[in-house]
Amino acid sequence: MTILEEPIKEVLTIKNYIGGEWVESKSEKILDVINPATQKVLAKVPVSTRGEIDEAVKVAKETFPMWRNTTPVARVRYLFRLKELMEEAFEEVSRVQTMEHGKTIDESRGETRRGIEMVEVATGIPSLMQGQLLEDIAVGIDEFAYRQPIGVFGIIGPFNFPFMVPLWFAPFAVACGNCIVVKPSSEDPISQTKIAELAEEAGIPPGVWNVVNGGRDVVTGMLEHPGIDGICFVGSTRVGRDVIYRKCGETGKRVIAQCGAKNFVLVMPDANLDRTIRSCMTSFYGNTGQRCLSGGNLVIVGEGLKEHEFNAFYEKIVNAFVKAASEIRVGYALDERVQMGPLRDKEKKQRLVGLVQKGVDEGAKLMLDGRNIKLIGDWPHDAFLNPSVFTEVTPDMYIAKEELFGPIANIMRVKTLDKAIEIIHNNPYGNASSIFTQNGKWTRKFVHEVKIGNVGINIGIVAPMAFFPFAGMKQSFYGVLHGQKESIDFFTDRKVVIQRWF
Amino acid sequence: MEIVTASAAVGYIGKVEENSAKLYEDIAQKHPKDGETFLSLAKENRRNKKSIQYAYQGVISDKLEACFCFDNFDTDNYSIKTELPEGITYPDALRKLIDMEEKTQKFLLDAAKQSKSLVPDVSWIFERVGKKRTERIAKLRLMLDKIAK
Repeated sequence: MTILEEPIKEVLTIKNYIGGEWVESKSEKILDVINPATQKVLAKVPVSTRGEIDEAVKVAKETFPMWRNTTPVARVRYLFRLKELMEEAFEEVSRVQTMEHGKTIDESRGETRRGIEMVEVATGIPSLMQGQLLEDIAVGIDEFAYRQPIGVFGIIGPFNFPFMVPLWFAPFAVACGNCIVVKPSSEDPISQTKIAELAEEAGIPPGVWNVVNGGRDVVTGMLEHPGIDGICFVGSTRVGRDVIYRKCGETGKRVIAQCGAKNFVLVMPDANLDRTIRSCMTSFYGNTGQRCLSGGNLVIVGEGLKEHEFNAFYEKIVNAFVKAASEIRVGYALDERVQMGPLRDKEKKQRLVGLVQKGVDEGAKLMLDGRNIKLIGDWPHDAFLNPSVFTEVTPDMYIAKEELFGPIANIMRVKTLDKAIEIIHNNPYGNASSIFTQNGKWTRKFVHEVKIGNVGINIGIVAPMAFFPFAGMKQSFYGVLHGQKESIDFFTDRKVVIQRWF
Repeated sequence: MEIVTASAAVGYIGKVEENSAKLYEDIAQKHPKDGETFLSLAKENRRNKKSIQYAYQGVISDKLEACFCFDNFDTDNYSIKTELPEGITYPDALRKLIDMEEKTQKFLLDAAKQSKSLVPDVSWIFERVGKKRTERIAKLRLMLDKIAK
């Protein structure tokens, strides 16, 4: 089979999009955007200066009065057009994601679809943004509340979903009447350039949708700028909690900070083996393990089993898991045979190579060593890692506690569901966890008791749809949730009016 | 070619539909008496290709096991041929077309069965397009019977 045609044929020069103009950065610091599978340079991206983020915020601020006075109906018509253009570009933008990030083409198309869904849901703003009214709160006096846009929002995107994650926020912010400045990850900024091109083509007025590429200076510039009213961030807990959330508190900005995770997947004795294992492959190795919803720890639960039955059940699951993981086809993900692509870059691979060794040093048993690279096709090994599986993992080990963000699965065994829930609760994160079972009683207990934001029942990746909140608890989440209703709350102020006419 | 991902299955069947459409268009030119029937089959091939793409692109998401939904599924086991040998007689051409449709149908129905629990919307469209093949096969058999008489 051949590789699907690459949409990026020559090295791109990434520009900032400010006030409807494509502006070349004045920065002397330019980074290469590298295809992690081929190690070829795809683009040059600037590390923009503080002055450039200031300029973007200034333009957005100046545009805001015009945009907030554009009616909600007119605003969403731009989004309808944007959605149409995204559908037309569906295949191109999906392949761009695979090229700049490394994920499989199925995963990229899934990401594109999820991004478009956000735009679709945001087109409902004329209904979603409506307020409330009660006539006669006292005789002749009425009270009503309505929502108004706030101003300018900064959106800081992560590398693992270069297309979708900024769209968790951007369409809602814009539909509510705000202006935005997006800072894509400098590791894979091309998708956000493509989206801004489509926003421009859709006719979204200059200054409403801005993109400034860069790194820490741009983020600091956003956090400290008095012209920015709120920040949307997805990334690590260390940055999300200690920098973004804290700084937004100091400067009085609204904040959504979606942070790190360590997700547990429970397999109960009555789970459907074949489907559970396939689901686990997607959960642990999909997106090469680089997502906040990825499975991290597989917990085999021996609820109701005698010791010898539990041993047999444990062996069966471990063997099936290791066999399936060892058969995963790894390679350049524009090849449709490939089930797992490379890591985003070679530094991430090196970090994970170190973590595999750390697991060994901690006493876990390495059943499958992903450091032995086996690829479909002849590609440089720089960013590739095959799936790894550890057994005999205990909850106190570093590899079991912390988010590894790569294709490493840890397998644990516990006797009861209570014990499994206790282990989950002792972990500082609370993003997602799943249970695989056919038993309603166990499921009900798990859903009811577990302190986790996104819970899966026979689902390995608990990714909420655009019209549900993306939840998260404990150290996985700070600030306000996002999702349909939550987004409207976040991107608008409520104004309450009490009126009487003499 | 072994298929393991939804993308590969959708891509493969898309090519089969496109190549089948071209084949029917060629035959329509060579045998204008039955041209209208062949052109309608070609049109249906292209509609099938679009329906499958829309179904796949419409539901694909990271919740679904799209990279792990096929197992031991190889196109070589179906050997769908969308070309006809030079100088083939009309009855033999019809026999080859029936064979192509039957094999395509089997591929689609097997693909539907395998992907049923993990990518149900894609499975459903595979099944629908596969079942519709029965009518096409009957149509081609009728044409062959007419010639034989």
